[in-house]
Amino acid sequence: MTRKKLSRTDIAGLQADLDAVRDSVMSTLGDKDVAHIRKMIRRARGSAIAGRTMLGLGFDPVTFVVGVAALAHAKIVENMEVGHNVMHGQYDWTNDPSLNSLRYEWDNVCDAGMWRHFHNYEHHTYTNILGKDRDFGYTILRLSDEQKWHPFFLLQPVWNAILALAFEWGVGGHDVQAERFLKGEMSFRQLAERSKPFHRKIRKQLVKDYVLFPLLTFWNAPRVLLGNLLANLIRNLWSYAIIFCGHFPDGTQVFSEEETRDETRGDWYYRQICGSANIEGGRAFHILTGHLSHQIEHHLFPDMPAHRYAEIAPQVQAICAKYGIRYNTANFWRQYGTVLGKVFRHALPSRRANAALAQA
Amino acid sequence: MSTPFAAIRQHALRTLQSPWLHPLNDTDALNELLGSLNPRWSLTEVRAELSGRRAETPDTVSLEFRPNRLWNGFAAGQHVTITVDIDGVRHQRVYSLSSDPAQAERLTLTVKRQPGDRQRTSVSNWLHDGLRLGDVVTLSAAAGDFVLPGAARPALLLSAGSGITPMRALLHALRQRAAAGTFTDDVVLIHVCRDRADQIFADELAALVREWPALRLVAWHTASRGRPTVAKLLEAVPDYAARDTWLCGPATFMADVEAHWQAAGLAARLRLERFGLAPRVVEGAASAEIRCERSERLFTAGAGEALLPAAERAGLKPAYGCRIGICRTCLCRKRSGTVENLVTGEQSSEPDEWIRLCVSTPRSDLQLDL
Repeated sequence: MTRKKLSRTDIAGLQADLDAVRDSVMSTLGDKDVAHIRKMIRRARGSAIAGRTMLGLGFDPVTFVVGVAALAHAKIVENMEVGHNVMHGQYDWTNDPSLNSLRYEWDNVCDAGMWRHFHNYEHHTYTNILGKDRDFGYTILRLSDEQKWHPFFLLQPVWNAILALAFEWGVGGHDVQAERFLKGEMSFRQLAERSKPFHRKIRKQLVKDYVLFPLLTFWNAPRVLLGNLLANLIRNLWSYAIIFCGHFPDGTQVFSEEETRDETRGDWYYRQICGSANIEGGRAFHILTGHLSHQIEHHLFPDMPAHRYAEIAPQVQAICAKYGIRYNTANFWRQYGTVLGKVFRHALPSRRANAALAQA
Repeated sequence: MSTPFAAIRQHALRTLQSPWLHPLNDTDALNELLGSLNPRWSLTEVRAELSGRRAETPDTVSLEFRPNRLWNGFAAGQHVTITVDIDGVRHQRVYSLSSDPAQAERLTLTVKRQPGDRQRTSVSNWLHDGLRLGDVVTLSAAAGDFVLPGAARPALLLSAGSGITPMRALLHALRQRAAAGTFTDDVVLIHVCRDRADQIFADELAALVREWPALRLVAWHTASRGRPTVAKLLEAVPDYAARDTWLCGPATFMADVEAHWQAAGLAARLRLERFGLAPRVVEGAASAEIRCERSERLFTAGAGEALLPAAERAGLKPAYGCRIGICRTCLCRKRSGTVENLVTGEQSSEPDEWIRLCVSTPRSDLQLDL
């Protein structure tokens, strides 16, 4: 895939323009941003209490369905709009320990400490650099011509489906880097050491959803257990679908380590725009995606409170137009459709489009 | 009788805090739920409602709070940390309690307005302008050793400016001891301020002097008499060496008095309460490069500068609380290098030690886990 080569002047201009957008928001942070995140926390908590109460105390199928929906909604809002954004440090400036990125732990089997390493550091620094960004294809999917083919990828539609259903487990185990163990680059002892926080978090999550709450209303234990399982499953499918639309739809680009050496912040901004894609929708939809539907803005300014992305999106889009950079945005079905197309297409070997990018 | 009960209670509390019971025991969540029913309710925090305010001088106000049941009261002379949210940002500041400690269901903080460019983020100014009757703030438990000893001796209270706030609580306590017959000596309060209009608690203390002859009040007004030297100030109490002394006021005033007491070999008789960092001259200091491991940032701290403001200047946002070395919110792991404690002057070079950013200044280049 070829992309426009921007001149150094353009890159410097892009950097200045985007810095100005960032400053215009960051200098006005205040009460209303805190009010938003606290409202989201209350919404997630209220929904969780309602959902768990209906599952635990109800007897009929209606409260079961509504209970599952409320609990899934709670987990989605807590994981995506609250957890993801707080753990990015978007609210560290509030100096409130309950909104501190280093202290927050989310309702998800992924350990917050591991997530901060592979997501905040690796993925947001090395976005879409093949061989560096382990989030590109999550090491089990081949999503571009430039990734080297292997017979393992023949079955990737199946791997994709498994990842979708068990997404939190995929995310949780991501930083264990089991593929390095399989390749013999890591000893079993190192693997065991690396996975300790993951195991701790798994125990905590399993006890909560499959022991504590079923026992709390023991006469309803199977119903609660099943309801919690379904809520986790719904959250997994939703976050998988949204997150896959962030970097894998048609038009998102990949980079080589070589071409990203000696990047300036302007270069880095440019790569973030080229490697990310937005999903169009209303405010309610954006909140349910944790504003990852504004993936481009999120990748430009990962520590900006996410509910501000919608207000700066037109400015970012105008800046992209000014420098002739494609601003990749479309509705959910178009973006997800092209992701699914890639999953199938790249299961088979392809002629490499860009020799410079091809992985040996 | 009470011991087995306390043990059972402690055991039950520990069980309730078990991580296996999460999220049923998520105190943050429970506190917020309780707070939405009544802002003063909390399982773990002292929440206090502003129940009254009184102007003491043109730039000083006394704020009366009604705390919830988690407030354990205080000893005269102690301080409290107040937590408030100002335009979304949480701030903490330490204030002396100025009320009578015998009044357990009420407490008072007396706050002087901060002049100049600190106005924007000044908690004191926000308490003046932003806090309304009925608003609720979070308080710490009372703390500090600026208190009365068990056995009493003649007392000297030395204060300047808003340093008089803990003195008022000490005077209340001494007065009660005198009334109960457990304190029979005399008390001298020497207070330095600009003029009569600037003198906090002037009328109230004048009234106290009238009804309690053992109390003598010496006010030094700098507007008419200029800044006093310590020796001039002490002319009013020739027997100061025989007295237990309490000292509170601006840093330079305190440093002068402290030096005088040290020179006289009386340091053990002097109790101090500081509002801020003592102006410590860090000798032979040079600016240093600080390497932050986690954020992969590099910043420079000036000679004798604390790490917290230096890091903030570089755009980092470390957690902080009191900013004067009390609350330990800004604890940070130092990987390598030497720091000096700005309060004690102690230097330490241990690798991987916890330091407080607000009272540590670098004495070499550092690596921090920040």
